[in-house]
Amino acid sequence: MSLKNIFTILLTFLFFTNIAAQDSTYVKSKTKAKEKAWYIPDYVKMQFAGNLGLLSVGAGYEVINNVLYSELLYGFVPKSISNAENIHLISIKNTFPIFTKQIGDFTLSPIAGFTTSVETGNNSFLTLPDKYPKGYYFPSAIHFTLFAGTQVHKEFKNQKIFKGADLYVEVGTVETYLFFALSTKEVTFNDVFSSAIGINFYF
Amino acid sequence: MKYLKILCPKKNKIIMLFGILMIFTACENIFEFSAYMANVQEEDKNTTAKNLQLIKDIQSESKDFKFAFVTDTHFFYDNLKTVLQNINKREDVSFVIFGGDYTEQGLLKEYEIFYNILKNLEKPFVTVIGNHDYSSNGGIIYEEMFGAFNYSFQFNDNKFVLFDNIVWESNKNPDFDWLSSELSNSELFNQVFVIAHIPTTDDQFSDVMEQTYAAIMFENNVSLSMHGHRHSYSYEQLYGDGINYLTVPSLKNPEYSIIHVKDASFDIEIIQL
Repeated sequence: MSLKNIFTILLTFLFFTNIAAQDSTYVKSKTKAKEKAWYIPDYVKMQFAGNLGLLSVGAGYEVINNVLYSELLYGFVPKSISNAENIHLISIKNTFPIFTKQIGDFTLSPIAGFTTSVETGNNSFLTLPDKYPKGYYFPSAIHFTLFAGTQVHKEFKNQKIFKGADLYVEVGTVETYLFFALSTKEVTFNDVFSSAIGINFYF
Repeated sequence: MKYLKILCPKKNKIIMLFGILMIFTACENIFEFSAYMANVQEEDKNTTAKNLQLIKDIQSESKDFKFAFVTDTHFFYDNLKTVLQNINKREDVSFVIFGGDYTEQGLLKEYEIFYNILKNLEKPFVTVIGNHDYSSNGGIIYEEMFGAFNYSFQFNDNKFVLFDNIVWESNKNPDFDWLSSELSNSELFNQVFVIAHIPTTDDQFSDVMEQTYAAIMFENNVSLSMHGHRHSYSYEQLYGDGINYLTVPSLKNPEYSIIHVKDASFDIEIIQL
């Protein structure tokens, strides 16, 4: 047997065990539309608060099955609430379910993750303006949030439009705030953490 | 009973508790929409006006008094608290002037943390804006939380002028016309003190700006021009015209200055805790 054949067999074996492993995961197995094109999102989502906007909406992919869910979100805060300019936030949110637990028709999972957000309309910049000496400021248009929470998943009986949904509640903070809470006695976790609520609908 | 057991095994209870606990730990700020928000709470607004009234109320005939000058508090929050507690114990200090840079990124959260720690101070205080405080929506927040960028007040026959000299971050030039007209009646006062965040020799200023500022100080016979920004101490007559320029270190270490104003002179003391 040539080396090439061994390699092919090995790859085929890995490929099939991988599929088998995916099938053995019971969580959200029904929602996995394997036949659809790769670029079609797996779900759409809407979130309230969490430093991603008053309301943020977007679409997400299950990047690594049952491990990583990544979403592209657009969040908005109107002038009337921000007391400055309208706030437009583009965010990439990554959620990791820590483990899953089936309870009747529901799947419960503690979740944790981080978000990268960009906002350039509120006197913030991505590249340092020329007037400043090199490295004078870190780009003020980028912020990161960290969060943890709980998520409940339910498969729908009628799967015509959406196959299932998640409802989640989180507490989270912005990277700068977390640094203050960790590095000083005066700033407590209570000062810097806030909540968010959101929902995902699966295709 | 069997059904209940399935519904609530031990592990799920832990998850539920975890979830509920997480929600309640955040009860102080239930929902936050963005780091760029500038909606200052109603009770935190107009701080300068409120404090100027308090300063007015403690005025006396005495030409001899002391005030503290604290600057560049940044995120040195523990040192800020230490310094404030020390100032509280100093019965000889009448009021406190803060020299700017209360934030890193001009964020509302940073302003709120500073403001909340300032609640520990048992003396009136006034502020001047720093370059960091203009970042993002910091300028809007400063105006709402404290008040005007340029203002002045009197204390025991002395005049204090607080001047916003930020150029880069504020996207505007310092209002030298305002400064000049504000100091035009300086001969009516025993002594005049000017407080501005950035020292005159900084890169932010063109040669013309630096000379304009120095000329205004000289023409109006200002006793002391007080600054921060450098995070180091210096006290000298920069332009050989008899006008004193002071730069006080940041709160990286718990240190601040006390200015002892006398009839025709003053003393500077750096307190290192």
